Amino acid sequence: MAVRELRRSRIALILLLLIPTLFNLLIVLTTTDRPLAFKLASVSEETFLQVSERRESLIFIGGAAVGLLTSFLALSLIQKHAEVNRRLVLCGYKPWELIASKLAVLLCVVVLVACYAAAILRLFFQPERFALVVLGFILAGYVYGCYGLLVGSILKRELEGVLLIVLLANIDAGWLQNPIYYADAQNKMIIRRLPAYLPSQVSMVSAFTDHSIFNPLIGSVVYGSILLLGALLIYFWRMRIHR
Amino acid sequence: MIDDKHTIEALHVGKSFGRRGVLKDVTFGIRPGEIVGIAGENGAGKSTLLKILVGLLAPTAGEVRINGNTGYCPQEMLVFETLTVRENFRLFAAAYGLDQAKRAAPWEDAENELLERFRFQQYENTLVSHLSGGTKQKLNLSLALLHSPDVLILDEPYSGFDWETYLRFWEFAAELRSQGRSVLIVSHFVYDRSKFDALFELADGVLRCV
Repeated sequence: MAVRELRRSRIALILLLLIPTLFNLLIVLTTTDRPLAFKLASVSEETFLQVSERRESLIFIGGAAVGLLTSFLALSLIQKHAEVNRRLVLCGYKPWELIASKLAVLLCVVVLVACYAAAILRLFFQPERFALVVLGFILAGYVYGCYGLLVGSILKRELEGVLLIVLLANIDAGWLQNPIYYADAQNKMIIRRLPAYLPSQVSMVSAFTDHSIFNPLIGSVVYGSILLLGALLIYFWRMRIHR
Repeated sequence: MIDDKHTIEALHVGKSFGRRGVLKDVTFGIRPGEIVGIAGENGAGKSTLLKILVGLLAPTAGEVRINGNTGYCPQEMLVFETLTVRENFRLFAAAYGLDQAKRAAPWEDAENELLERFRFQQYENTLVSHLSGGTKQKLNLSLALLHSPDVLILDEPYSGFDWETYLRFWEFAAELRSQGRSVLIVSHFVYDRSKFDALFELADGVLRCV
């Protein structure tokens, strides 16, 4: 059902591919290959990297694009037809069957969009560990997808959900996680608690160094899973039948 | 005491939203083969009562018992707008467990019968978002009837129907009555009292026999 609905939303499908393309195009058109020096937050404080502005920005924007898109998709998946889904539960469907189909669709889209964003990236440069950069993008989609599910399970109306997603995703994935900004930020502790921090570290560290990504990888999975757990608890509470 | 002869029984049901009391001590029962109506002004709490009966809301006080499987047609169009009519039927058939291979009669037979009865078979493969309000309401109602329920609970079921479909609806309701099924219809406006075996009015949170 969720797959059929998504397939029929042709404009949404086009945007899922068009937005990462546009984001990357903007980066290519607005940056240069001038070298930038910055510290990666999850690597030691003494390690300075020197990479081109364009390459750093392409990695940063790839994760941001995947995170933004999947959070909106997750919001739509869980909010749209919520009352019809409850009618289905009343008729005999199990809530977990309904949510499982939505999660499967979300996971597939996260992987596809992450791979597509990474494929565009490859047109412009070859990261040191490309597969792990893709993994970082997937984790950005996972964490922000789970955030979208949580927002959608709490709020019934679309506008409030969109505003909450735009508010956080823009400031977090679209700004604060850029190493150019956070390397000199006053309060890094706040930046490190935001959803896009760990996935963006996986991508950045993998793209430019050979340091271990174990901690941000596990952290991303745990962060996303906590959001997912919250979303599922609220979803099942909303879907309950009083008999 | 709950009476085993009733298919639907509500005993001293109350419902409050915060300090606002919507239902106060509502008690009634419906027997097999009865068509019962509940009328009342907009905002009287009719839909709230139905939601409590089917289990979408918990009562603040009292008890509800339903014997048999239930079909519920909500007042709102709770159908999938981005799916076709047939895809909606398929989903609800799966929800009711009608898609099991071992069943004697496939769910498609029941679907075709409803499409024909309410005359919207030509829209079987049309997206619901492309249908008129009246046809959507036919689908909304048909989804509640697909599994031949023992107890039908209908919230404003004929709003948006043309006169012919309205008459067909009552023909169908009479058939259900003759089969021993119970039908509870809630409407803000009752056209023909003679069609009901019992009629109640909900006002000030209390149910009165009319």
